[in-house]
Amino acid sequence: MSDEDAQLPDTRRLPTLDKTPGEADGTTPSAPDSPSTDTAGHHRVRRFWSARRVPAALVALLLLAAAGLLLYDVAAVRADRPAMAWRRRLARELATRHLDNPWVLGAAAVAVVLGIWLIVLAVTPGLRQVLPMRPAAPDIRAGLDRAAAALVLRDRAMEVAGVQSVRMAVSRRKAKAHCVSHFRELDEVRADLDTSLGEGLRQLGLAHKLRLTVDVRRPKKR
Amino acid sequence: MRRVRGTVNRVLLGLIGVVLFGVGGMVLLGGLGLPAKWHLALPAGWPWSRPDEVLLPTRQRTRWTDQGWWWPVVIAALAVFVLLMLWWLLTQLRRHRLNEILVDSGDGEGALLRGRALEAALAAESEALDGVDGAGVVLTGRRSEPQVRAVLALAPHADPGTVVRRLSDEAVAHARRSAGLDRLPADVRLRAVKHRPERVS
Repeated sequence: MSDEDAQLPDTRRLPTLDKTPGEADGTTPSAPDSPSTDTAGHHRVRRFWSARRVPAALVALLLLAAAGLLLYDVAAVRADRPAMAWRRRLARELATRHLDNPWVLGAAAVAVVLGIWLIVLAVTPGLRQVLPMRPAAPDIRAGLDRAAAALVLRDRAMEVAGVQSVRMAVSRRKAKAHCVSHFRELDEVRADLDTSLGEGLRQLGLAHKLRLTVDVRRPKKR
Repeated sequence: MRRVRGTVNRVLLGLIGVVLFGVGGMVLLGGLGLPAKWHLALPAGWPWSRPDEVLLPTRQRTRWTDQGWWWPVVIAALAVFVLLMLWWLLTQLRRHRLNEILVDSGDGEGALLRGRALEAALAAESEALDGVDGAGVVLTGRRSEPQVRAVLALAPHADPGTVVRRLSDEAVAHARRSAGLDRLPADVRLRAVKHRPERVS
């Protein structure tokens, strides 16, 4: 009964809720904020780009091992020693297996997938867990981990009266708060959370503001 | 330096990816008999066009083996490739770190400042900031144009925007002034220290 009670206003309120923080963030509080950063920062804040060290090291190691082994064997054969068995076997397989052999097709499919993956690694920025921050000074570039942003926002939400527990989920564009409130009217708690988390989001100083969604429920009755 | 390595990594990874994708795609195309099915007119030199072909016929493999130049060229090419890969691997493992900074005193005399000393000073001052639990600072760049890379661990109830502003105004600005640098760019990454939710009020 009480659970249903808690659910009902939730589902009814959510659309308007979605609007109020968006409206509040879009017009009143951040309106003086965003143009000033645009004029002050002037250039767009770019994402952090990973150096791709681990994939590069792995690929380099693999190619180094393969090429080194081949070089050793070629040189050994030049020095009148017999070729290693794997090389003779490889040459034979390459010369006898037809292209429609499952092994050949499978290897080709793996090569295609690996190739696509490497291309994706090469052209995407990576470091998706880092949210770029607004430049505080011209020479400083700062990034905030998503986990850190979630913790800061959770601490803010915990300060609202009536909030028993909070689960924050911060993605690259959205911040979602799932709160459990054990006293006060849900609507009041939600309004307080909206203002407090909106303020918290502004204090994070991110280059691209996160969209805020607040979800408040009553604790489950045992 | 770091940016150069990032670019090199991405170019090489992309190149290898394109080669893998191209070769795999060509083998799949031929192996599934798609050129015949789709009536594709492949160029004359296309290696794999029909399913009953093999990857590398013996005739192709031993085409130049009796020529005098073949094996030296193969060995040289492999050796160059091995060296290139070795260099690539080692650049991933090496951490670029500045050992000393050139301090221009303005009267023609230069001085060398130990990088570790400035790193330690920066880290200590960053850790003293309100809302910072721990700090790791590394200097990169060149002797005359150093750069700061910092990782800060945020304390509970920290305010990230203020932390960055104060880091820039205090720790980095002090370091820049004391080393007599025109500019000291900084790359800052803020992490969180996991802590339990608690009420302060």
